[in-house]
Amino acid sequence: MTAAIETVEVSKGYGRRLALTDTTMTIPAGRVVGLVGPNGAGKTTLLHLAVGLLRPTSGTISVLGDTPGAGPETLARVGFLAQDSPVYPRLRVGDHLRAGTWLNPHWDGEFATRRVGELGLDTRQRAGTLSGGQRAQLALTMAVAKRPELLLLDEPVASLDPLARREFLQTLMEVVAGHGVSVVLSSHLIADLERVCDYLVVLIAGRVALSGDVDDIRASHHLLTGPQRDSLPAGQTIIEASHVGRQSTLLIRTTDPIFDPAWTVTPVTLDDIVLAYMKQARDAGVADATPGLAVAS
Amino acid sequence: MTRFAWLQSRTQTLAFFAALAALAVAAAVTGVHLSHLYNDLVRHCEVRGNCQLGISAFTNHYNFLQGAFMLLLRLAPALIGIFWGGPLIARELEAGSYRLAWTQTVSRRRWVITKLAIVGGTAVVAAGLLTLTVTWWYRSLDSIDPNMYGVIDARDVAPIGYTFFAFMLGALLGAVIKRTLPAMAATLGVFVFVRIAVQQWVRPHLLSPLHKTMSILSVKDFGFISSNGAPVELTARGSSPPGPWELSSQLVTSSGHVATGAERAAFVQHYCPAVAAPPPFRGGPSHPVAAPPGIREAFDTCQQQAAKTFHVLVTYQPASRYWTFQWLELGIFLALGLVAAGLCFWWVTQRIR
Amino acid sequence: MIEFHLDPTSGVATYLQLVQQVQQSLRLGLLAPGDRLPTAQQVVASLAINPNTVLKAYRDLEREGLVRARPGLGTFIVGQLPRTDPQAQGRFRRSMTEWLRKARAAGLTADEIEAIYRTSLRDSFAEEDIA
Repeated sequence: MTAAIETVEVSKGYGRRLALTDTTMTIPAGRVVGLVGPNGAGKTTLLHLAVGLLRPTSGTISVLGDTPGAGPETLARVGFLAQDSPVYPRLRVGDHLRAGTWLNPHWDGEFATRRVGELGLDTRQRAGTLSGGQRAQLALTMAVAKRPELLLLDEPVASLDPLARREFLQTLMEVVAGHGVSVVLSSHLIADLERVCDYLVVLIAGRVALSGDVDDIRASHHLLTGPQRDSLPAGQTIIEASHVGRQSTLLIRTTDPIFDPAWTVTPVTLDDIVLAYMKQARDAGVADATPGLAVAS
Repeated sequence: MTRFAWLQSRTQTLAFFAALAALAVAAAVTGVHLSHLYNDLVRHCEVRGNCQLGISAFTNHYNFLQGAFMLLLRLAPALIGIFWGGPLIARELEAGSYRLAWTQTVSRRRWVITKLAIVGGTAVVAAGLLTLTVTWWYRSLDSIDPNMYGVIDARDVAPIGYTFFAFMLGALLGAVIKRTLPAMAATLGVFVFVRIAVQQWVRPHLLSPLHKTMSILSVKDFGFISSNGAPVELTARGSSPPGPWELSSQLVTSSGHVATGAERAAFVQHYCPAVAAPPPFRGGPSHPVAAPPGIREAFDTCQQQAAKTFHVLVTYQPASRYWTFQWLELGIFLALGLVAAGLCFWWVTQRIR
Repeated sequence: MIEFHLDPTSGVATYLQLVQQVQQSLRLGLLAPGDRLPTAQQVVASLAINPNTVLKAYRDLEREGLVRARPGLGTFIVGQLPRTDPQAQGRFRRSMTEWLRKARAAGLTADEIEAIYRTSLRDSFAEEDIA
């Protein structure tokens, strides 16, 4: 199957600042992929590259096997919801839907009209007067009604209150269930995405720190508590360790069962796993920090 | 994309054309009245023998509208450039809606071409209608004024060129600056600069001017001038045939070169000593100085002698070239507008990546 | 009909939570063969979770022989989980209560007791796995 997004040694700089540095990654299609990383990790840059708003300074990126933004055919296959859900404040909700019809050959007007109706939006209302949640829903409706094969969403819920957040993700998941579209959505908080993602890519300082099926990631990470010791069995990798007195707490990755009776094994949330990787990357970054290399989102 | 570009510019376009329609109505009503006034006061004035009086009575009508229409037609290109061109792309970039616009199934090339064509086309049509209205309204007033070069930028086709250029310039600066207000300010600044530059440094050199040599005896201004205690110099200004654009009027010697200040001062010293050493100034507004006796004769002798020594060379563009200059002005600004449009296209499709 | 709920802090994979909730309902007799499970669409709409997660849970249950998907109709319960004899459950609970009483008399705190319980439980099952 063609990857949703595939990058080979992609770098993107803004002036002298580098947002992505030689990033090589594959994001599979047919999944709901969470692209997680701290602010400034390069998530927005990556998504803008994927939808053709930006071009890499070096390296190659392909989306569904195509060069992003190469032409209308490529644009038609990718739906994009930019950060903060931009709309045209002076145009009415209905104008947005009409614009969708004019600008997209595969526009699903029936879906768009029904969706806007379900959301209780007045088509005569100006988009500038919508609440944040309504605006996000309108922008999502536009991205979905385009009938893309791949939906890219940049921090779609970051600015929404918890209820709007839940409703937004509900809409998104119904779309995934109904239309089988591939989704990549970014967030700086995994907690936002934990329910909806089945694949996770953790992007830190423009590099992939962790990537894989969510259930696999969960099943292969364990929190161990027990007496401090020098070595672990082969196949167990320490992601994060803390020692208090003779007691150690380790977050490890392994696909093998843990038999050592000295350890107390506790399940660990996705949130904790992602945080551990972020911490690990940050500590590594401090150790071999490259002076003068700033990172932008 | 055409319909979307229209949808986005709909409000401003309708507002503009509504204002234009109101203006056209006002122009029609007053314009017809002006025609009647012209017939009454000017057309058969020779028969009544008081043309000067009739003309001044006629041109004193609608003074406010005369000024307003002139100002409007001179401002309109800049305003369209500022309010239509400046925000066209800058607002999309500033508000972030370009991320919505450029991710629909429309290539960025088509997006920018359509926007420039639709809104730019509307701007050109608007300017065309405005200049048509104003030119029509002024037609009987213009028929009296022999010098059309003075209003070459506020009549006929030139304002269309200005508008096209101002709009494309605004779009380009908006795309480059990416912020609406600074882009609008920059549009105003650059447009005014280019207009003045063309008027001052380009237009006079577009066509080689005609020359006319005149005797000092037949010029309208002849006299003496002295500033800051410098020696008194001779001065004379000729006037060209009616209706031209006078570029310069120079005093030339019989050998054909332009008389220097020293030559003119020397002439006065030599032939017109009475004039060169005038009585000390003692008068004021309430005490006019009485002309010393014999000065009149001295002046005439001086002028007779000057006519043998110097000529006045008038350099000018004849009235018949008015339309050539109109088309040249239009052509220059259409070309500049196309360059701005091309740069804008290149910037949006290649540089904003 | 079963209504799913999620505990986001448990650290248990979402699909596994769904599987466990079906198993628990079967054990407690809340679900019986012939009952229909909610469709993926319904679960998605109520929990805002990924439909793939629901399908994965249903596939797991189908592999265990507990449910069967009938195309166009839905997913139905077909199997039963062995339910322990209620009398045996009562017997073990009584002996556990007795053990707990002794542990507390010996001065063990609730946390210590839980640590002992967890470790013993895991050891017990681990030995079984190795064997």
